Amino acid sequence: MPKLHLRRLPPVAVVALALLALAACGGEYPNSTFSHNTELNDGAVFLWDRMMLLGTIVFVVVEVLLVYTIFKFRRREGGPPPSQVTGNAVLEITWTAIPALILVFLAVPTVRTIFENQRIAPTGALQVEVIGHQWWWEFRYPQYGFTTANELYLPIGRTVNFSLRTRDVLHSFWIPQMGGKRDLIANRVNHIWFTPKADLASAAMNGACVEYCGSSHANMRFRAFTVAPADFAKWVAHQQTNSAGSPAALAAAQAADSAATAARSAVPVKAASLVPVSAQAPHPALSPAPEAWLFPADKMPAFTWPQTPLPATKFDAALLAAGDPTAGRALLTNPANLGKAPCLTCHVVKGETNYVNDDQARGPNLTHIGTRHTFAAGLYRTDAKTLALWIKNAPAMKPGSVMPTFGVGEYNALIKMTVPAAAGLDDRQIADIVAYLMTLK
Amino acid sequence: MATPATTAAHAPGASEDTGLWSWLTTVDHKKIGILYLYTALFYLMVGGLEAALIRTQLAKPNLSVVSAETYNQLFTMHGTTMVFLVVMPLSAAFFNYLIPLQIGARDVAFPRLNAFSYWVYALGGLFITLPIFFGVAPNGGWFGYAPLSGPTYGSGFNMDFWVLGLQILGISSLAAAFNFITTIINLRAPGMTLMRMPMFTWMSFVVQFLVILAFPVITAALFFLQFDRFFGTNFYVVQAGGDPLLWQHLFWVFGHPEVYILILPAFGLVSEVLPTNSRKPLFGYNVMAYSGMMIGFLGFGVWAHHMFAVGLGPVADSIFSLSTMLIGLPTGVKIFNWIATMYGGSLRFPASMKFAIGLIAMFTIGGISGVMHSSPPSDLQQTDTYFVVAHFHYVLYGGAMMGIFSGIYHYFPKITGRLMNERLGTWHFWLNFIGLNLTFFPMHFSGMLGMPRRIYTYDAGQGWELFNLMSTGGTYLLIVAGLVFAYNFFVSRAKGAVAGSDPWGAPTLEWSIPSPPPDYNFAQIPEVTSRYPLWDLKTPDRTAGLEHSHGDAGAIAAAHAVPVHEETERRTAKELGIPMPVNTIKPFMVALGIIVMFSGLIVLHAGKFPLAMATMLGGGAFMVASLYAWLTSPLE
Repeated sequence: MPKLHLRRLPPVAVVALALLALAACGGEYPNSTFSHNTELNDGAVFLWDRMMLLGTIVFVVVEVLLVYTIFKFRRREGGPPPSQVTGNAVLEITWTAIPALILVFLAVPTVRTIFENQRIAPTGALQVEVIGHQWWWEFRYPQYGFTTANELYLPIGRTVNFSLRTRDVLHSFWIPQMGGKRDLIANRVNHIWFTPKADLASAAMNGACVEYCGSSHANMRFRAFTVAPADFAKWVAHQQTNSAGSPAALAAAQAADSAATAARSAVPVKAASLVPVSAQAPHPALSPAPEAWLFPADKMPAFTWPQTPLPATKFDAALLAAGDPTAGRALLTNPANLGKAPCLTCHVVKGETNYVNDDQARGPNLTHIGTRHTFAAGLYRTDAKTLALWIKNAPAMKPGSVMPTFGVGEYNALIKMTVPAAAGLDDRQIADIVAYLMTLK
Repeated sequence: MATPATTAAHAPGASEDTGLWSWLTTVDHKKIGILYLYTALFYLMVGGLEAALIRTQLAKPNLSVVSAETYNQLFTMHGTTMVFLVVMPLSAAFFNYLIPLQIGARDVAFPRLNAFSYWVYALGGLFITLPIFFGVAPNGGWFGYAPLSGPTYGSGFNMDFWVLGLQILGISSLAAAFNFITTIINLRAPGMTLMRMPMFTWMSFVVQFLVILAFPVITAALFFLQFDRFFGTNFYVVQAGGDPLLWQHLFWVFGHPEVYILILPAFGLVSEVLPTNSRKPLFGYNVMAYSGMMIGFLGFGVWAHHMFAVGLGPVADSIFSLSTMLIGLPTGVKIFNWIATMYGGSLRFPASMKFAIGLIAMFTIGGISGVMHSSPPSDLQQTDTYFVVAHFHYVLYGGAMMGIFSGIYHYFPKITGRLMNERLGTWHFWLNFIGLNLTFFPMHFSGMLGMPRRIYTYDAGQGWELFNLMSTGGTYLLIVAGLVFAYNFFVSRAKGAVAGSDPWGAPTLEWSIPSPPPDYNFAQIPEVTSRYPLWDLKTPDRTAGLEHSHGDAGAIAAAHAVPVHEETERRTAKELGIPMPVNTIKPFMVALGIIVMFSGLIVLHAGKFPLAMATMLGGGAFMVASLYAWLTSPLE
């Protein structure tokens, strides 16, 4: 056993710190809080830098004094007797006053920044309503009259004012690259606003819930895309429409006897139908629908693609490929099937027979699910296979998920029972529903 | 109830009665202190294992070592365990063992209440810990934010155990606090003015006031939650218009002073260890005492810095920001005064001193990152990330636990009569020091690089992998350090070198009596004439510059006090004619009744109304009957 000495403390500490510093400089940090993407974060980074400087000075002074004292005054044979000083008023006042002075240099910019950040957002700001749910994000764009989920589009150069509320427990809204966080509190509306700077490049970034909210708190993520104003306008125009799979589009498609060339309707924005609503007659196409615009998948960096491992649940790929969107749509929209496929009692698909509106929906609005890169609060990539597995057994893919298990024979861990054949969906039906969902573009 | 422990006259030491019954019935503050120590060290192991599981799950992205639900229970219980079942009781172990010895008293003011405090803690600890073996451990975080902890979103039994467990533990803390305040005010030896008390006793004194001011607040908050959960009230039920922020305010009005309840005893211990091993009086004694009071006072005015993300508005944010900065000042003064205590001294570095210096070095880091949280615009990027986890582990592990380890090495010879092995102590220190920095320093990075707290999993490529792997490795190192400590503790207890009454050349009264002390502590109450009575006796030159004065002659005569002297003789209390409190099982029984009574609410939640009423009424009746028996039986 080697004998250890206090004098080894400084080298050990220095080496450890150097290693860490090296580690910190060597990698890619896509969620770094030190960005200058918004004026909100400029203030945070300015204060951080100042505190880092002052803090480092204090740290070095204290540790140098400490280490010096340890070495200088260690007991030696025949050393001087210990001095018997019991205090020194001047010294003690000095080392109270100097830190107090240091704090003034921190306090003044702090208070100034607090008041700057919490002004009322400038007029003309993009309004986004953020509504937290266990465990996913609802995003509404009230100025444009549509609702989406888990993927946030922000135009570069325009202030965005978020109003934050929750449908259940507390959550907290955070895009680390954009600035600080703000809690979503029941029975209150909170606000935070920032402006993605005009010179920013179009980018994809991660957001997360940062207030502990239960089982799947870790799985309550979202994506934020900063896009050029022109692209944003295209995205908005498309999001405002009913989806390609909605009655109008399907009717047109059936008329043309070709699902591949589905026409798109451009029904003006309306509030979602209320419960119970009789099946809507197919609308005639009013005008050519705008082309779907979404953030290009090939520009999304690896860290924005979900890597959640898929469960062991099996799903026949051939069955999936043979999925029939018309049959899938019938399953969802025919009231006779509500017992087996009650999708629209929790989700909204604009233009379909909905049993709930956005304020009542317990699950994300699916109108344009086919244009979202990810689903289940950023936990999975939107593709046919993953969607099928999800419908088959969502609680197995996201702990605590209130989305029920639908696959016949699957075990629902949340309510601790296996889905009986009478109440569930078989794989063919799930494949049909997935095929329908994939048309919701 | 007559007990075998008190019927036979016995000499302390080898022939002392150490059977199970003697521990269940003891009212000796030293034995109760030892019970606290062992129980809290046991829970330290439990909390450490919880931490190890947490860190193993986070070692790499998307692991599934534990499920999401288990992880949530683990982090909730890790926090709850470490705060309420480890650090507070470890401090209580020292309060119990040391305060009467340091102030020259023969016991605490209310010895049976003291036993009661311990048993409520021990049984309450089991109440809150055992559910983890049935998969229903609390899962709403140690902060229990409503409405997640309420009946709507936390409908399982999990948070029942948390709410009731915390209520039970609060009873223990409050009873102990009143006991120690009474003890310190009333039982000091003649001549020991407040400003002559050892610094550990001073800091303990401040802490007791924090307890009696802060715990009623959490008690009220928990009552609201308890009523919501069991009786259908709507304090925090959001669907009925309840306000979740009420909980947050109440919780943090308690929660922030709680931080100082955890750290000030460690500051006190270090303030004993440093002067002793520097052979120099504490630098700036008055300022050290006042800064402790100042920290305690300001500690009640900073709670909303836990709530900057809540959106309290710019005025509230500014005020709590400034008050938080202010609290850095008295804390900083302590750091400088400790260094000044060593400066010019003749330093010796036993393990206790290494840990004391470790506290200064590490707490400084936690203090600086604490000031960083005080600036809301910047804090909004830090709060609820791993940066905060790093911060408070530097405070609570680098500060409180370092100080407590220092205290254990320092006072082990007093408690057991034997010295701990210094070489193993050195190993423990270094493994601990490196492990702690390896675990917690990288968390500063993972936090500022965007990693939220309380997540059971994360994706690769987020820039967090290396830091998480380092933290996990550091945790394993800390476990090795803990094993070295445990080995050292138990081997030294059996075979360590015999310590004698004063192995460190310390200045205070507890070192003037044999190790371990006889059950009556002081055969003759010493009269104190300065802050460092034992140095007055042994090395008068060291205290020549201090004020010395004799106390009131009447009080000295009334207490039969004699000048400070070393006691070496071991005689029984009976031989000396010192009346000792009688051992009794009644405090244990009252505590048991309380636990049974509270358990009735769990049965109520299970829907078994008659059984629930029977349990509550039965427990309540048992408690009242035991209490009556306790109050009608004489103390001595």
